[in-house]
Amino acid sequence: MSLLEVRALSAGYGPVEVLHGIDLDVDHGEMVVILGANGAGKTTTMRAVSGMIGRSGSVTFDGVDITRTNAEKLVGMGIAHVPQGRGTFPDLTVMDNLRVGAYARSGGIAADIDRWFAVFPRLAERRDQRAGSLSGGEQQMLAIARALMSHPKLLLCDEPSLGLAPLITQEVFEVLKKLNADEGLSVLLVEQNANLALKVAQRVYLLETGTVVASGSAAQIASDDAIRKAYLGA
Amino acid sequence: MERFFQYLFDGLSLGSIYALLALGLVVVFRGTGHLNFAQGEMAMICTFVVWQFNDWGVPLVLSIILGMIVGFALGAGVEATIIRGVAKKSQAGVFVVSIALFLGLNSLAAMIWGSLPPEQLPGLFPDEPDDFQRIFGAVWRYEYIGVLAVALVLMGLLFLLFAKTKFGLAMRAVASNPESARLAGIPTGIVLASSWGIAGAMGALSGTLWGGIVGELNAGLMFTVFIYASAAATLGGFDSPGGAVIAGLTIGVGEQFLAGYFPGWIGQEMKLSAALLTIFVVLLVKPSGLFGSTKVERV
Amino acid sequence: MLRIDEGSTRHWLLRLLGFAVITFIVVWVPTQMSSSRIGQFTDAFILMIAAMSLNLVLGFTGQISIGHSAFFGIGGYTAAILIKDHGWSPGYTFYAAAVVAFVVGCVVALPALRIRGIYLALVTLAVAVLFPTLVRWKKLAWLTDGSKGMDSVRYEDVPVWPILGELKGREGRAVFMFWLGLIVVVATYLVCRGIVKSRFGRALVAIRDNETAAAVMGVNLTTTKVLVFGVSAALCALGGVLSTLKSGVITPDGQYVTLLGSIVFLLVMIVGGAGTLWGPIIGGLVYVWLDNTTRDIGTSDSGILGALFGWADQSPATLILGLVLVVIMFAAPYGLVGLAKRLGRKVVVIVPRPVGSSTPR
Ligand SMILES: Nc1ncnc2c1ncn2[C@@H]1O[C@H](COP(=O)(O)OP(=O)(O)O)[C@@H](O)[C@H]1O
Ligand SMILES: [Mg+2]
Repeated sequence: MSLLEVRALSAGYGPVEVLHGIDLDVDHGEMVVILGANGAGKTTTMRAVSGMIGRSGSVTFDGVDITRTNAEKLVGMGIAHVPQGRGTFPDLTVMDNLRVGAYARSGGIAADIDRWFAVFPRLAERRDQRAGSLSGGEQQMLAIARALMSHPKLLLCDEPSLGLAPLITQEVFEVLKKLNADEGLSVLLVEQNANLALKVAQRVYLLETGTVVASGSAAQIASDDAIRKAYLGA
Repeated sequence: MERFFQYLFDGLSLGSIYALLALGLVVVFRGTGHLNFAQGEMAMICTFVVWQFNDWGVPLVLSIILGMIVGFALGAGVEATIIRGVAKKSQAGVFVVSIALFLGLNSLAAMIWGSLPPEQLPGLFPDEPDDFQRIFGAVWRYEYIGVLAVALVLMGLLFLLFAKTKFGLAMRAVASNPESARLAGIPTGIVLASSWGIAGAMGALSGTLWGGIVGELNAGLMFTVFIYASAAATLGGFDSPGGAVIAGLTIGVGEQFLAGYFPGWIGQEMKLSAALLTIFVVLLVKPSGLFGSTKVERV
Repeated sequence: MLRIDEGSTRHWLLRLLGFAVITFIVVWVPTQMSSSRIGQFTDAFILMIAAMSLNLVLGFTGQISIGHSAFFGIGGYTAAILIKDHGWSPGYTFYAAAVVAFVVGCVVALPALRIRGIYLALVTLAVAVLFPTLVRWKKLAWLTDGSKGMDSVRYEDVPVWPILGELKGREGRAVFMFWLGLIVVVATYLVCRGIVKSRFGRALVAIRDNETAAAVMGVNLTTTKVLVFGVSAALCALGGVLSTLKSGVITPDGQYVTLLGSIVFLLVMIVGGAGTLWGPIIGGLVYVWLDNTTRDIGTSDSGILGALFGWADQSPATLILGLVLVVIMFAAPYGLVGLAKRLGRKVVVIVPRPVGSSTPR
């Protein structure tokens, strides 16, 4: 059984339905990417999975039905969500951001902070600076580190490359790939930069106006000419 | 010089009461982005509650603690039931509801305690005519010293709560980015209700201190204090707790100086107006208060 | 559900029907009701005027003001001073009050431009607090008569308007004030409507919705904001004149002259429906009705309410008013007009004319 099983997921904002019944799986230790144009519903999918918006259908995590579970509770169960754009607390220091990340658990927090400081040395240098004063790349790293502080089994990461310089994006993806390979962290990634995503992910879902129009292994998708032409711009 | 110290000291004591209430306004604003117009009336009701407990024979200090607990419950309850429900639908609605609370609480106090003879709320500190100390030639009454000390201690505790505890961290996180706070597992509902509760408890204390100085309790007890407190929150910056404290004390001292040194033009009647005008001028230079961040736009 | 095209004959019939109903009420009230009831309608008119003026700055331009009681007071005092000290005929003081308030409004608005959101709310609140203290100030007592206020500010003889016949005594004055109030309400409504539907009005709404975008589109923010604040102040002052002429007195802590007045104006506007032309009118009626009904409840000792509140030292009127306001905000978060529109849409839909076609079918 997969770690995350999403079946017939529908969600939206108020009367407007954005997702129209999505099926999606993430296996233990797998890195899965959702591709799709702007406004396809990628962010909405992530928000629906982590319970930030109302949803119907079923979401099962680690064998437990979490369709009706509050967003606040999911962190404790092992889902961490780095939202699109600002996932940090701009008025708090870097240290406090990481402490907030560990809100749902206790013990060994100082050691964890040191560990992520080792992975992201630039955060360590700025530990007492307000998060709002960091560069975009540093903020994205902080948001990821903050999420990892909760010891998740599954990391939801929404467009980490948004607004970052290519070199920084490369760096962020290296870290995600390494965590996935070395520690078996499962990752559900949203990305617009298809070429980059196809390099790190094992499986791909292609989203179009709230429905999954194609899915398969990264290699399959990358070699399908029709899909390449229509979605990947090459 | 003697006058200078007299004004300074009276101003600090009164200002510390404004600061307490202003801190409550700021805590609420940072949490939910609302100006709670009923803050003063909640404090007033709690002051009556303190008086009531005391009148039933509960020792004064214990009555005050009970009053603060009632204040916490009142604030948290109001946020969790009425404010949150309306805020989901319309921001203007929150304004109306906080005005409705203002009217309702005021009326309720008058209904329950309206026909009491002018009651004396016993002061927390000795306040016989000769209970004072002369320092630098100025009369420093024990009552005023006590008010200042209690207010400063409570504010100190609050800042410790903000800075050093896990709950304080959660409050700051929710104020900074509510969505990510939820994603980090912080129960935002409880945190927001608690910020209103903390504001209510601080209001209870500021009301009791003020009631002790005024002596006589009535439903209009906190109205002027509320204006001063809003002025302090504005001057300090609506999202800056430290700013509220500094501004509260500054306004307290400033109005004493203005009233004392210009008795003909300003005096007691015009001191509030003079203070408000000064704040207006400050805002022209710093439109979001002395210590506020500029992003604050919500009402 | 009924669908009616905008501008069609049926649409005009519907409008005509609404107009007839309003005319009927307007004629029925001053001819058939007691003078105290008539006075309550005049009170509602006064609130409507103040709320409509506030609606221009808050509802349509998005600039909060908790200071309109000051403009209301300026209107009342201008009338009182001109009538008592300078022997003006009451009717002309409307114009003078509007001019004075317009100037003061612009002066207040100029510095307030830099200030936004909650800070603007508190600055205008300061204006509301300042006004009564200034009136009371001993250095200004030569002008305002200090805290005792001014009285006998009214029409000594009610003017004769042929259409109304001769009006005498208290009743006659009540009827006359009703008609005078109605005229000012209609005038204020027409001014607001004219503004909102004009180019200037579109600039206001653009500022409310997105200030930066409005500036990019070529709206002059400073001029627009200052002008609309001035006009709003002037209209609010008309309400103040009316109120003073009706009661004959004005004092620094009189009705609607203090901060409480500003708060009532805001309540009326929001409860009725901010940013709608009819909101303040409905709000004024509902508020005055609520205010009087709850006050009556407080005075009777019998029935359920007597049993509920018999223990109380004072009337529960304000408490009940507060509770009703909370209920209204839960049921109609965008005001009563918003609620009526939503419910009305289930019965009748006016299909808007396609853009560009100006001739009715
Ligand atoms: N808060 C919201 N309220 C209403 N509609 C929204 C909201 N957020 C997104 N949408 C709509 O939902 C659709 C999908 O948006 P989103 O999930 O953000 O797309 P993506 O992340 O794929 O770019 C879009 O049409 C967008 O307009
Ligand atoms: Mg997105």
